[in-house]
Amino acid sequence: MSAVVTMVRVGPLTTIQDEGRFGMLRHGISASGPMDRAAFVAAGQWAGAGRGGLECTRAGLDLRLESGNCLVGFAGGDFVVRHNGAPQEWPGAVRLAPGDSLAVTPGRWGNYGYLRFGGDIAAMPVLGSIATNSRAGLGGLDGRALRAGDAIAIEGESRTPMPPLAAEKAEGPIRVTWGLHADLFPAGLRQQFLTGHFVVSSRLDRMGVQLEDKERVFADAALLSLASDAIMPGDVQILGDGTPIVLMCDHQPTGGYPRIATVITADLDRFAQLRPGSDLTFAAVTVEHAQQLLRRGTG
Amino acid sequence: MAGWSAPETLPRPTLIPLGDSAVVVRFGTVLTDSANRAAIALADTLTLAPIAGVIEVMPNLISLLLRYDPRTASAATILGEVRLRMASLSATGGTGRRWSLAVTFDGADLESAAAALGMTRAAFIAAHNSVPLRVLATGFAPGFVYCGLHRDELALPRRSAVRPAVPPGSVLFAAGQTAITATEIPTGWHVIGRTEFRNFDPQGEVPTRLSAGDMIDFAVAP
Repeated sequence: MSAVVTMVRVGPLTTIQDEGRFGMLRHGISASGPMDRAAFVAAGQWAGAGRGGLECTRAGLDLRLESGNCLVGFAGGDFVVRHNGAPQEWPGAVRLAPGDSLAVTPGRWGNYGYLRFGGDIAAMPVLGSIATNSRAGLGGLDGRALRAGDAIAIEGESRTPMPPLAAEKAEGPIRVTWGLHADLFPAGLRQQFLTGHFVVSSRLDRMGVQLEDKERVFADAALLSLASDAIMPGDVQILGDGTPIVLMCDHQPTGGYPRIATVITADLDRFAQLRPGSDLTFAAVTVEHAQQLLRRGTG
Repeated sequence: MAGWSAPETLPRPTLIPLGDSAVVVRFGTVLTDSANRAAIALADTLTLAPIAGVIEVMPNLISLLLRYDPRTASAATILGEVRLRMASLSATGGTGRRWSLAVTFDGADLESAAAALGMTRAAFIAAHNSVPLRVLATGFAPGFVYCGLHRDELALPRRSAVRPAVPPGSVLFAAGQTAITATEIPTGWHVIGRTEFRNFDPQGEVPTRLSAGDMIDFAVAP
């Protein structure tokens, strides 16, 4: 099967992603990959997708199938999707014929949606991956976000689509394990981190999500600068002025700001989908508990 | 820290989980020569004798990141294996390669950095190049390297202002270290010069050439 889609309208920071470019931290490259991994997988199951997919942001995108034909699966957050103007279920899949349009517009919740195709996205792998790394400018199409007019070729065989079971939308506090530098924060401050309410700010992208600290929990946290150390996605770092930032897939590989906690892998997708203005609280769990959640596949 | 001597014993490591899929083995809380050597030595050991289940090892200034898949490996087993390897670890070895790097010392902050250390420009350059520097760590940005440690007389804090962008090949100086950029980055370090050397090629099978533990002789570019 082969097909070509053209991007007609593209919201900001729409990128090509695959599972990620792992193993490159010592070269200064974080893994990238989907902000909502489970949704990326689900979109792939709807489409019987091969390599890669498109990650769109809240504004969505419009595309047109130029040639060939192709199943497209979609999932992640809540978006409105229309096939030649006719509303479709999200998540779901439709088959596109030449000239068909697919329009994705904002829905009720979520920051990231995924479109995956029955076949492989034809992009040149860089260091083993086609994931776009917005920090390093690698992968995807010339290492950049997609623009209107970009053409994307789909090649290779599709797999058998296997629509996934509907995932339950999890609620409740975002669970964390204590961070690399938790011991540098006084016990009272750690407690306030768990009881305080934070708000997702409008400053969010694939590198990190800045939080509003309405109760000014960290306003007076005078912390030393540290020898820079490894960062993992989900790390909650506190800047010198007390601003908390949760580092995400395109994080810098190392950093010197203290990190009080790390969002557990099972809750990172859900966190990534929280829109600006969302209230959130954090709850501490043990590393063992976080790992049990992953083994049970409830992440 | 010119002419460092090999420490008889390595600093004791602290093992700290970093999220649910990685652990950090840290050899101190501040950057010291021995903590850095220990981190590099353990990284080298783990390259030669990998721990089952560990999928990535990244040495940093005073620590080592071990990434693993908690679905198939347990933190307890990995930590046990780290302790076993620590027992036979020696920082006296050194698998690092030797490099010679030509630098054009004409950076915007060269004059002020030298002055802040009470040196002439020529004396600063001579002092900077007088001993080889070790690549202390990589990973901050693609191809970026920290080199050091300079002896105490060459310790200078960062600038108070951050330059929004310096080009690839910039040679930076602060905090007892010299750093070399390979991509455009913002920096609060003193820009003392530039080099033609580029430590990042995304098309290469291995995208960077310098590794932690390598030794670099800095020289004035002809």
